[in-house]
Amino acid sequence: MTFGVRGVTVRFGDHVALDDVTLEAPPGRVTGVVGGDGSGKTTLLRVLAGALSPDAGEVRRPDPGRIGYLASGSGTYPDLTVDENLVFVATAYGVHASEVARRSGGYLERIGLAGARDRLAGHLSGGMRQRLGVICAMVHRPELLVLDEPTTGIDPVSRADLWWLIARAAAGGAAVVLSTSYLDEAERAASLLVLDRGGSLAAGTPEEIAAAVPGTVRRLRERPGGGLAGRAWRRGARWFAWEPPGSPPGEGEVVRPTLHEAVTVAALARELEAVGGGAP
Amino acid sequence: MTPLAQSIGVTRRFRHLVAVDGVDLRVDPGEVVGLLGANGAGKTTLIRMLLGLLPASDGRVLLFGRPPSRETRRRIGYVPQGLGLYDDLTPLENLAFARAAFGGALGELPAQVRPLARIPVGRLPLGVQRRVAFAQALAHGPDLLVLDEPTSGVDPLARARLWETIRGAAEAGAGVLVTTHHMDEAEECDRLVVMAQGRVVGEGSVEEIVGGARVVVVESPEWERALEALEGAGLSAALVGRTLRVPSTGVEEVGHALDGVPAILGEAGATLEERFLELTLAGTAA
Amino acid sequence: MWAMIVKEFRQLRRDRRTLAMMIFMPVLMLVIFGYAASFDVSSIPVRVVGPQAERIAAVLPPPFDVEAADPEGTRAEAELALRDGEAPVAFVTDAEGVTVLLDGSELFVANATKATLSSLAERIPGDVPASVQVLFNPDLETSAIMVPGLAAMILLFVGTVITSLGVVRERQAGTLEQLAVMPFRPRDVFLGKIAPYFVVASIDMAIVVVAGALLFDVPFRGSVLVLALGALLFLFVTLGLGVLISSVSQNQGQAIQLALMALLPQVMLSGLIFPLSSMAAGVRWIGYLLPLTYFVQISRGVMLRGAPIDALWTSFLYLAIIGAIVFGLATLRFRRQLAPARRHGRLAEPVEVAA
Repeated sequence: MTFGVRGVTVRFGDHVALDDVTLEAPPGRVTGVVGGDGSGKTTLLRVLAGALSPDAGEVRRPDPGRIGYLASGSGTYPDLTVDENLVFVATAYGVHASEVARRSGGYLERIGLAGARDRLAGHLSGGMRQRLGVICAMVHRPELLVLDEPTTGIDPVSRADLWWLIARAAAGGAAVVLSTSYLDEAERAASLLVLDRGGSLAAGTPEEIAAAVPGTVRRLRERPGGGLAGRAWRRGARWFAWEPPGSPPGEGEVVRPTLHEAVTVAALARELEAVGGGAP
Repeated sequence: MTPLAQSIGVTRRFRHLVAVDGVDLRVDPGEVVGLLGANGAGKTTLIRMLLGLLPASDGRVLLFGRPPSRETRRRIGYVPQGLGLYDDLTPLENLAFARAAFGGALGELPAQVRPLARIPVGRLPLGVQRRVAFAQALAHGPDLLVLDEPTSGVDPLARARLWETIRGAAEAGAGVLVTTHHMDEAEECDRLVVMAQGRVVGEGSVEEIVGGARVVVVESPEWERALEALEGAGLSAALVGRTLRVPSTGVEEVGHALDGVPAILGEAGATLEERFLELTLAGTAA
Repeated sequence: MWAMIVKEFRQLRRDRRTLAMMIFMPVLMLVIFGYAASFDVSSIPVRVVGPQAERIAAVLPPPFDVEAADPEGTRAEAELALRDGEAPVAFVTDAEGVTVLLDGSELFVANATKATLSSLAERIPGDVPASVQVLFNPDLETSAIMVPGLAAMILLFVGTVITSLGVVRERQAGTLEQLAVMPFRPRDVFLGKIAPYFVVASIDMAIVVVAGALLFDVPFRGSVLVLALGALLFLFVTLGLGVLISSVSQNQGQAIQLALMALLPQVMLSGLIFPLSSMAAGVRWIGYLLPLTYFVQISRGVMLRGAPIDALWTSFLYLAIIGAIVFGLATLRFRRQLAPARRHGRLAEPVEVAA
């Protein structure tokens, strides 16, 4: 069964956190939700996991016992040991203690915590804690695994291990939904939903999103001037500019947009629309 | 040209641990240098020595050509990971405090932030908070900027905008040292320095660091068996979807390790992240 | 340095809880030391029984305040009245003179009475000889009245301060949200969280009572069950208060501030230290609102006087009502934060902060 949300809207007072957002999370795949701070991705994941009820729209999720959730900022108890954390989660979900040892043993060894089961979670490095958090969320073999920014601020070695855990969960049949603000990570997901200020900016596989850029993207050698500046951005040493469909061709070499360019264009387009602009 | 910040053969020992081991680093005016390393690689310790917060056990640290001192502090703009802002003060109040501490002009808030200038920082969205933190660090016209994970958590467009500000400072002659965990950010830098186990294990532009590194791509209907077989042979593999990518090895070795597991093997260029992991793990083994 | 001063002031201005404390504390101290802190007893309620009751009642000078004069009343009845807390002093009259019965659990009243009597040279106007007998705490030991009070204070402290810290810690660690998604019923989480504090508080109280008996010879004359029931009701109040405090606090620092503001007035104005009867009337009503006041009465009544439950029924009733309200509110708030519910927040309120 494919989980997800359809047409979900969430308001906090006057603030619209999510506006008619749809997300499909098929089992056995990793679905990524991309966006920066304030995009609504945490709210979306909370709705999906069942921590929040939407004001409108429908949610398809399994029973609470079949969901695994990791809130952003680590879900482990700092004053419990690695083992105690695992046992708490397992008991809550009805997994027997010996099962816990069996399932988690392999994972703990992989991430280097096998010898540290008696260490307080609060004494672990941030990366270790996050990895432990993901293992805790997975230990009961959930059908739906929801991870909120599991890799933000984590060093690359920990991140590689995290992705190993995540990929295993998906390959094992779970529907995995994770949020991130980094596009290079997002590229590993089978499909993506890009959020911007509560609204859906783009959706599909990374290739589909990259191919769906309207208009043209050009690479320039230096910062453009004049009206073009509002449609240009810099990445590393290069400048890119976007030509909306129907605008006269400008300078610079046409490039095939990658996911990165596609998402930036989509955000730019939305911004320009909001301001009431468009092609100069 | 005197480098703005320079470490020459710098080593730092803590009792039994060598946190930084003979590191040479320099940041020149106008360039953006990215410092990349896993936890425990020594990045933070090195930065603290460069900022003058920690003395070196061996080697020399020079800021603007001289050892660090209180005067050199005034010429540095530092944005830590936690942004260093007071959550219960407004942007204007934060800037006023910074001005009183550093001297110089009152920082200028970018146009988008100005309407929010009287709201306590803690209630503002992260992207805005970062812009305030930058404005504060730049206010006293520093010659050296040290930024820790400057764009963590913001969306790609906002990241590009923040980097325009950073670039602007570099173009005006400042030198920028950035530490980061994320490849998106590393790709924005002119030059990267990769650290592992306290040593520099790679240096150069993104292309130079990746070099010709390649990975073996394994497509198999029985990915789990394949993964176990590889790990049993001591080859670590990353799982992407159902494809395995194995760094630091060749097609033959992988084929040998797979020993009977049905798979299609290919090769592909390594990503910066894969190359970085390779360097880090090699550094650990060394 | 000036920059630091300005910054601190600005931050202080926004920190409403600290500001409240800075205003609240001096006001509280003023009230306490101006109006409440006194060991002087201004009026002593008195029962007079026995054949000479009316005559004696007529001549008793202030501070004695005769509540009832009953010529048919016996000494036994007078003793019961003292035990049940109906009055702290009884004059038992007969042909030879007057025996003054003092409730030793009302330490300051008893001392004041003794002082008055000795100033009257142990005679009542009309030259009636009076002899004094102290019931329930014959040596008028302070420890006897403090130990029951301490038992009460422990329940208050553990219930309010410690519980609020424990619950807030969950929110600080960010794990409260995880719990919301796990297959727990809100009831499981709520009771599971407060159960340890309930147990610890009860054990602590038992230790205090036993230590009081062994080390300080504090008696335990009444029914353990009655005290236990009173303690249970009082715990509902304090635990509920602890959870309520945590539900409006984001971190342990804030929780402590609120908990102290809830704790201190109760300790000072509940009759635990300064007797209620010594407080100015304008302030005494505060004491009658505080839950601690009633449990102190139960605690002292049961331990020192062996008072039965029907004598203390007003205290029990009050605690039951307050307990139901406070605990009920706490449950509601806790459920709302745990069950999938809509949050009503302000614009740009950070998502990590729970409502």
